[in-house]
Amino acid sequence: MNSTPLLVRVAINCLAAITLGFLVLPILAVIPASFNAASFITLPPASVSLRWYRSFLLDGEWMMTLINSAAVASLTTAIALLLGTSAALGLQQLGERASFVLKGAFLAPLVVPVIVTAIALYRSMIDIAMTGTIWAIAIGHAILALPLVIIMVGVSLRAVDPTWHLAAAGLGAGRWMIFRTITLPNILPGIIGGAVFAAMTSFDEVVIAVFLAGYETKTLPVKMWEVIRIEFTPVAAVAATFMILLAMSLFLVVRTVGPRDVERPS
Amino acid sequence: MKARGVGVRLVGISKSYGSVVALQPTDLAVEAGEFLTLLGPSGSGKTTMLNSIAGYVEPDRGSILFGGTDVTTMPARSRNVGMVFQNYALFPHFDVFANVGYGLRARGVGKSEIARRVAAALALVQLDGYGDRKIQQLSGGQQQRVALARALVIEPDVLLMDEPLGALDRQLRKTVQLELRRLHELHGRTTVYVTHDQEEALILSDRVAVMHEARIVQVGTAAELYTAPVDAFVAGFIGESNLLPVRVLALSAGVARIEVPDLARDLEVMASPDVAIGRPARLLLRPEHVVLDAAGGVPGSIDEIVYLGEIISARITLASGAQIWARRLANSPLERGASIRVGWAAQHLRVVAER
Repeated sequence: MNSTPLLVRVAINCLAAITLGFLVLPILAVIPASFNAASFITLPPASVSLRWYRSFLLDGEWMMTLINSAAVASLTTAIALLLGTSAALGLQQLGERASFVLKGAFLAPLVVPVIVTAIALYRSMIDIAMTGTIWAIAIGHAILALPLVIIMVGVSLRAVDPTWHLAAAGLGAGRWMIFRTITLPNILPGIIGGAVFAAMTSFDEVVIAVFLAGYETKTLPVKMWEVIRIEFTPVAAVAATFMILLAMSLFLVVRTVGPRDVERPS
Repeated sequence: MKARGVGVRLVGISKSYGSVVALQPTDLAVEAGEFLTLLGPSGSGKTTMLNSIAGYVEPDRGSILFGGTDVTTMPARSRNVGMVFQNYALFPHFDVFANVGYGLRARGVGKSEIARRVAAALALVQLDGYGDRKIQQLSGGQQQRVALARALVIEPDVLLMDEPLGALDRQLRKTVQLELRRLHELHGRTTVYVTHDQEEALILSDRVAVMHEARIVQVGTAAELYTAPVDAFVAGFIGESNLLPVRVLALSAGVARIEVPDLARDLEVMASPDVAIGRPARLLLRPEHVVLDAAGGVPGSIDEIVYLGEIISARITLASGAQIWARRLANSPLERGASIRVGWAAQHLRVVAER
């Protein structure tokens, strides 16, 4: 059945294992590092302790940044969902050419270097006296998150048969009832997937946050970046561990309810 | 049979998409309680016409009347129309009950009333007790019946069906055709049905409108279309036919004298209204009207024999080289290669305009 020579197969498998190791091990390494009793990040940990968890949770500034990040991520998700879902619905109504051009514009933040977006935003936010506010960071993150929502909702919209709308209209349903009862339930997986990606994008974003955050509005990644530059204590690993836990649980959400690549029986 | 629903009148409606004409200016009147089928090949404009009645397509010109009401500019949701789609368009995230009840919900009908009417509609299509099934759990035939129940439960003024049996296998299609016929005789609701299957059209309909190249060519009962087609297209589309080229020599009072080169003689036959001297025309000779072994007939030979169950179909090459099909009951054998003399039942011949 398998005609590939043994040696080649072994080589391919080794390469795959090494690649996977490089991808996953740094993530896993940070977890034991966070339980280290010593004052530096070392591997393997010299002795196991919850010391750095205590200092993370009891430190007012760490907690403040965690709350800031949660607030920014929530706002980002709300803005990106509202605009992204509307944009995806609108793009679907347009003709092929207009949709292609506009979609390119909407997805531009994916390819524009984040530092460019950050500088541009920084300048504009000064003009309208918004630098250093939670809203400014959330708007910046929403720019990055918007394309992700548009893509996710767009994918799930493709599974919505246009004749369902005709059928619903023919049965007497108005626009709003059609959206609420036909469109929304069918694109909900895409919306949830988009929400998760938007929240994650915001939660680990550092470039825009560095430019726009003030002391009071510092986010968790910004604080981590500062701490690593100055002291390099395992408390940063604790913060990283919390982020990994959050990312993993959100990832699970997407896998359970997110859009699936299954054909709908029509 | 009591008529439910209203009559539908289309007055000079037409529709173009850019330079593509989907529907030439067309008139059509559907009687209240009538079952009318739009029959034609794909691209003949039948779906455009159906969608205009439903309100999914706004015609460029002309008007649409339901009873005495002009609905031309009324949106689909305000017309009281039940539509059965080719792919059924059932809502996959709802169960059968919610699908069938959707139109009542949109009309703000109360919960208990919805339950009562949905149950009645499901009973009508013989799906009692299927309310809590998921759509994906149903067979194609069952889905088709759910779609029908969903369209009927709102008591529509007009029931529209767009090739609703296209996705079913042949055996099931026969059963559902008879079922649709039964339902229509029971309720007599004004129905406009679209199909490209002529047999289906003839089985189901009170009248059939044959469509070709974005217009209606002929409207009539099955018998009218079969025995008196207006042109060669209708003659060829309805039933099996041999259409031999002819030259019209003389014409008076609906009877034409024609020269038929393939039969090597002149004949006097009934003529369709559009037949004229100097215009191309065809002789319609139905296969069941071809007589084999006729004394003094046209010489030919049998070169193909097809058994169709109780009927046998034979292809005959005439002396001129033209080929015609003949049909007869399969009780007497035919032999391939046999020389025969072909005759015809003269009273059934008809000359039709070529288009």
